[in-house]
Amino acid sequence: CFFLLFSPIVPRDRHAVWASRKFTSPTDIISTVEFNHTGELLATGDKGGRVVIFQREQESKNQVHRRGEYNVYSTFQSHEPEFDYLKSLEIEEKINKIRWLPQQNAAYFLLSTNDKTVKLWKVSERDKRPEGYNLKDEEGRLRDPATITTLRVPVLRPMDLMVEATPRRVFANAHTYHINSISVNSDYETYMSADDLRINLWNFEITNQSFNIVDIKPANMEELTEVITAAEFHPHHCNTFVYSSSKGTIRLCDMRASALCDRHTKFFEEPEDPSNRSFFSEIISSISDVKFSHSGRCIMTRDYLTVKVWDLNMENRPVETYQVHDYLRSKLCSLYENDCIFDKFECVWNGSDSVIMTGSYNNFFRMFDRNTKRDVTLEASRENSKPRAILKPRKVCVGGKRRKDEISVDSLDFSKKILHTAWHPSENIIAVAATNNLYIFQDKVN
Amino acid sequence: MEFKLEAHRIVSISLGKIYNSRVQRGGIKLHKNLLVSLVLRSARQVYLSDPCPGLYLAGHPGAPAPPQQPEESAAGPPAGWGEPPPPAGRAAWPEPEPQPERPAVPEVLRAGDSEPAATVTAAGDTLQGGEAEAPEAAWRRVEGPRETAVGGAGVSGVFPEGPEAARGPCGCPPGDEDKLSAPPASPPVCARKRGAGWVGGGPADCPAPGSTPLKKPRRNSEEQPGGEEEEEEEMETGNVANLISIFGSSFSGLLRKSPGGGREEAEGEESGPEAAEPGQICCDKPVLRDINPWSTAIVAF
Repeated sequence: CFFLLFSPIVPRDRHAVWASRKFTSPTDIISTVEFNHTGELLATGDKGGRVVIFQREQESKNQVHRRGEYNVYSTFQSHEPEFDYLKSLEIEEKINKIRWLPQQNAAYFLLSTNDKTVKLWKVSERDKRPEGYNLKDEEGRLRDPATITTLRVPVLRPMDLMVEATPRRVFANAHTYHINSISVNSDYETYMSADDLRINLWNFEITNQSFNIVDIKPANMEELTEVITAAEFHPHHCNTFVYSSSKGTIRLCDMRASALCDRHTKFFEEPEDPSNRSFFSEIISSISDVKFSHSGRCIMTRDYLTVKVWDLNMENRPVETYQVHDYLRSKLCSLYENDCIFDKFECVWNGSDSVIMTGSYNNFFRMFDRNTKRDVTLEASRENSKPRAILKPRKVCVGGKRRKDEISVDSLDFSKKILHTAWHPSENIIAVAATNNLYIFQDKVN
Repeated sequence: MEFKLEAHRIVSISLGKIYNSRVQRGGIKLHKNLLVSLVLRSARQVYLSDPCPGLYLAGHPGAPAPPQQPEESAAGPPAGWGEPPPPAGRAAWPEPEPQPERPAVPEVLRAGDSEPAATVTAAGDTLQGGEAEAPEAAWRRVEGPRETAVGGAGVSGVFPEGPEAARGPCGCPPGDEDKLSAPPASPPVCARKRGAGWVGGGPADCPAPGSTPLKKPRRNSEEQPGGEEEEEEEMETGNVANLISIFGSSFSGLLRKSPGGGREEAEGEESGPEAAEPGQICCDKPVLRDINPWSTAIVAF
């Protein structure tokens, strides 16, 4: 059954939610959301350079009907604002992307990036501490060696659980332009970072050099016509990756072909519909996100008005196109004026690749079932967020008589946009970031 | 006609965005600016291709007609952009056709030199090393009459007039300005009359694209457009130069020759400027009112 009944679990931070009701700090705006590979952890990054990680509570036997809720697990400052004095450039601390590494030991690792620097963070738990040092006392003060008469071996004693995040690697100075994507390779040894014109390949262990694998910077910048907008590794083939462009094209590259993947292996482009041509055709065709399906057989792309699913074996057109909010097509000029047309919406697959989800305005987000071809519009708002409440499908009225529950296009609040969403890798749990609030919904099983 | 006005409006919005992007935190966003420049290009094409005899089209450098200016301005900065000033030794500047108009502005605005040069960067410096003095001086001069903006120039306050004077660096050495001050009687006169009201009025060949009122440090990064020679890439430079180049390549044709006979139209409209007051040219009232902020925006660039 596709139409899942979602009920909100917990806002990002209960107290912060109420505080933000009055004073929304611009640095609290969530800029990325990502589940880890098991879905146990959910990481969010914000404009202030902070990362907040939520952990799903283990289901208790007492309350078996109560699904695991997500609570704050760790919070740390990942990036700080920087100033490049040489170029007189301020570097924003906003976290553009977070990507988890698969778990290989007790600790969790994630990559977080701002415009210029990628960092590898280790998040680990500490529930024991050493006691019985010889050279320092219990408060950590150094002892006078002369007072030590006996030696003892320190022992580990249990302590309250503490989660600490430490930066293990800093991958800096490799990008002249703004980093828009990072993607961990399926070999778990390398990852790539992409900026407007270049893509670099890194080894996790090496921070002072990276390989440039894509470079679309023209020799003469006057000839610049397109930029890289997103990039991702294939989920299984460690030699394959895709990157999307501002011209609405996707290139699939094979790193075995050559060191510099300037020549694509596949080129995905849909011919433009001449009847839709306008001043803004180019802007709305710019791809804001590209995601491989979990199976690795398809890619999904998001441009301003649509989501498209492409089969890797068919380059000349997508196999599926979904209209996210086509009623905006007649309002492009206004959206250009207020800059909304530049909003970069992301898109996500569910665990089985049968449903895709993406955000829209007015805190609406949309889901499309690829099999039944049904779609639904839901809203992430405080009014709907009483725990256990079921989300009601919403509808936008495009013209004619507006029904009672519908909202007209002109009433949409364009300042409330859902750009970032995430879907649990195996369950029907979704995380939706609405400005500075995080909503987590799950399906209700009767 | 509607298309033209729409295109006009879009151009002015786009220029505003590009201007604002320069002061945005985090540096110029290449992607967004590229998209804006594409819109600008489309709007320009529509503007030029829509045959509306009443509107002044860009192209004729000699006519200082205000109605003309927006178009030229639109073309101007780009033209200047695509071709950095000679001192930089890069692409050649467009022929100084628009120069005859330029002098009118500095002359007119000289009086209103009230703005401190604080906001005026060594815009000239950025692209023109040695010619910094004249451009800066011109910038200061231009900044004066900001409040005398005309018509719908509420927007004009947004864009510093400084860039206007940036025309100085646009390949026109200080000395030329005087020379150009006394060009054909009517254009400068008209321009001058208009100048009081015209903050943005002036030659379209908006000079130093890089010469906007930015903080001095930017100068360094903008000294090598494209920054190809530098081992360490200068994103700032690259971006600005890109925009410059992009606009330049888009608009440089305008000055020389407009598709669709823009030049002819411009010539035909030369008498128009003599109507002097903006808004009085019958079919162009709405356009004219918008022209002010538009050209200032362009000049600001």
